[in-house]
Amino acid sequence: MEQRIAQAEPRNHPQPKVLRMAPVLRGLIWATIGFVVFDLFTVAVDPYRGNPLVTEPSAVIGWVGGLLGWLLGVGGYEEMILPLFGSPSTWVEPKDWRRYFGLSTNHKVIGIQYLFSSSSIFLIAGLDAMAMRYELMQPSMHFFTYTGQYLTAVGIHGSLMMFGVGTVAMISGLGNYFVPLMIGAKRTVFSRLSGIGHWLLPAGALTLIASPLLGYWDTGWRGYEPLASQDPGGMVYYYLGIFAMTFSTILSAVNLSATIIFHRAKGMTWARLPLFVWGILTVSLLNLIWQPEIEMTFVMALLDKLIPFHFWDALGSPETYLSMFWLFGHPEVYIIVLPAFAMWNEIIPVMAQKNLFARDWAIIGLIFVMMLSGLVWAHHMFTNMRNSEMFPFAFFTEMISIPTGFSFMAAIGTLWKARLRLTTPSLLVLMSLFNFVVGGLTGVYLADPPVNLQVHDTFFVIAHFHYTIIGGMIFTWIASMYYWLPKFSGRMYNETWGKLLAIWIFIGFNGTFGQMFLLGLDGMNRWVPAYPPYLKPMNYEVSLFAFFLGAGFIAHAIHIIWAWRNGPKAPENPWHSRTLEWLTTSPPPENNFDGEVEVVRGFYRYDHDEPSAYLVKDASESQ
Amino acid sequence: MGDAIVFVVIWGILTTLGEIWFRSIRAHSMYYTISNQGSIALSAFNFLSSWLMPIFIFVALMVIYTLIRFRAPNNEPKPSLVQAMRNKWYIFFWVAASFLLNIMFWLHPTSVDLEAMFTNWRQEKKQNPLIVNVTARQWEWIFSYPQYGIKQAVNAQGLDEMELPVNRPVEFFLRSYDPFHTYDVYAGVIHSFWIPAFGIKEDVIPGETRTEFLVPNHVANFKTSPLVRVQCAEVCGPGHPYMEAPVSVVTAKQFAQWIAYQKKLQASGV
Repeated sequence: MEQRIAQAEPRNHPQPKVLRMAPVLRGLIWATIGFVVFDLFTVAVDPYRGNPLVTEPSAVIGWVGGLLGWLLGVGGYEEMILPLFGSPSTWVEPKDWRRYFGLSTNHKVIGIQYLFSSSSIFLIAGLDAMAMRYELMQPSMHFFTYTGQYLTAVGIHGSLMMFGVGTVAMISGLGNYFVPLMIGAKRTVFSRLSGIGHWLLPAGALTLIASPLLGYWDTGWRGYEPLASQDPGGMVYYYLGIFAMTFSTILSAVNLSATIIFHRAKGMTWARLPLFVWGILTVSLLNLIWQPEIEMTFVMALLDKLIPFHFWDALGSPETYLSMFWLFGHPEVYIIVLPAFAMWNEIIPVMAQKNLFARDWAIIGLIFVMMLSGLVWAHHMFTNMRNSEMFPFAFFTEMISIPTGFSFMAAIGTLWKARLRLTTPSLLVLMSLFNFVVGGLTGVYLADPPVNLQVHDTFFVIAHFHYTIIGGMIFTWIASMYYWLPKFSGRMYNETWGKLLAIWIFIGFNGTFGQMFLLGLDGMNRWVPAYPPYLKPMNYEVSLFAFFLGAGFIAHAIHIIWAWRNGPKAPENPWHSRTLEWLTTSPPPENNFDGEVEVVRGFYRYDHDEPSAYLVKDASESQ
Repeated sequence: MGDAIVFVVIWGILTTLGEIWFRSIRAHSMYYTISNQGSIALSAFNFLSSWLMPIFIFVALMVIYTLIRFRAPNNEPKPSLVQAMRNKWYIFFWVAASFLLNIMFWLHPTSVDLEAMFTNWRQEKKQNPLIVNVTARQWEWIFSYPQYGIKQAVNAQGLDEMELPVNRPVEFFLRSYDPFHTYDVYAGVIHSFWIPAFGIKEDVIPGETRTEFLVPNHVANFKTSPLVRVQCAEVCGPGHPYMEAPVSVVTAKQFAQWIAYQKKLQASGV
């Protein structure tokens, strides 16, 4: 009898194999073997062999082998392949810190893995930006020796930040950790898929970082054709790296949207769904629409590179690539900032202990931004589109500021006459409101074609999108990390340090990107390591602020890590929040809740003392 | 109500001060502009700036006002005294104002200026403009003047340069291909023809011919302002940062002399 039960539950294998090697290490070794095997095979069957051992096609096929080896090595073999062929899974998740270094099916572990990966990518891409800013301190080449190096640095910075941080940190990281907790679910729907999805992210980032090994590429993060098809081999690893990272995002989006739709606790109606969960839902739908679109574009571009198809050169249609890229590229910025909009209205009511103002309008705003975001892409193409198309795209681009404004309306309505506790998260959210309004209002200039024809592709645009993305999303990400730190670790950060560091990055950020607007108006164009000397003084200043900003981000990371490990013990619900994640212990147990959650009313009312949800303890389930 | 009045008064004062400050700098607020197209962009920029100023001040002031006025004395979680979830007038005002402002922005700078821009282009087409063929290759701008038989305008050092007579409409024909490529002249990439002082930017797409019209309206050159230059604005390979050429806007007489000089250079085969 006992035997049969054990067989019926393949996960509890009677004799779990003891892992002798860390999964990450095994993944790296298997990836190397996979790469070499697939690469040699390609070279062997290549009729034109004889030249180098790694050619562009063999690097692509070798990469597939390497990726398969990596995914199997980090735990995919035991957790995915064995059950696929009917054998019991021999994968055992360690209970201690080792669980973060292998495949996991626990959404909280996956969330922290994502946060760690994207923070590491943020650090690497940030150091890359520091190198770029160091180069720009002088009008001539002095740090990079070849312009291709600088352009590759720009491309890697942009790609890593977009696909490894912007779309990942708040969605896959905080989303994986908190969405199930906030909707009262015990686990996510596709937990194994989500577990393997995380490991695509470091694989993709490492591919991009390794791209200069195959040659410096020049296109920046957009992979513009037809330049890309004549670029050196590093371009190949740009496509493949982004393919892996966006695939990770798609898997997250499938898992999170399915979890939100199907795994809500009893009583968690759509009308009661927390704001952050709404943000993640709208973003996941956007991801499901647009990430496959860009992957398809990049697969076509990769094929165009390996086999000269002439899709996008003078024989084909260069503008089709631009449209296909921006069709994804503009929704991408909303993918990045929507969770931040949602998070403002999650943190402000809690910190003010005040009812969320116009909650329905805040949600309508998120949904309409989601829907309109697919209609605005061509404002990136005012410099090369038909004149007749300028009217509609200028119209849609200007109109998207209306639903964006609804998030501001709710935030400001909640702040008005509040009793706001000035903690680090609330300070950072206020800063984020300020920064995003600068980014949004400068977007109005860019939506106007005559102005756009002047400032397009200058530092004005760079300043604008860094205001929306760093100012909107990164500031809110840091705010959320402080806000949820007591939940992650049961510990508290140091309030003085938190505020000091928040002011630090605020000054660094505005000093850096505020001046970039002026540089752009003064004729500083993008993608240049060398520029006319009259622009030097301001560039020099911008670089100094940029280094200051970079140091501020690192200081925040150190402070958060310190607080995570050694901070003072936090109370159970330090902010007095009403959402569900505070209904359980900190950090949450394996199954999130010690019973069944039942939601009885919305979470954003602070004018009464009745609880919004109950924990129904089931005797048969408790241990 | 008291808070609202105080806030609106401060907002009004700051907005007024901001507008006065902006009016004092607006002549130079965007960039140095010496063409009719540039003036359209500059006036649109100034118009947008003066309307966006109150919105920016509203949010920025709200952040600061909250920090000062609505700050809790300590970090004890005490409910706020006011617990409004809805204020019909505030929502109505916000939604209506954002709709009206956006529609105005679309009508005023965007539609009106685009119409002005397109009309300029139509009229000038009729008036026998100066034609400049611009060829963008990796990584060089080549200017030819077909009306004067000049194939490639260069200076004494053999570097490309462009000269334009003041107040005469110019029609640029923009193409991207490489006349000096050894086996494939059509192997072009996207460049972007940008003269910062003229306020124009047009992508040069391989396989297509693009046109630009404008009237330069001040005598100027690269030495009087570094913005009077042709700059490639779209990344086009490792030579991209160096893909620039000086521009001079000169009087009609100087232009005639320059043309004669170019003809001499061309005849001597330099």
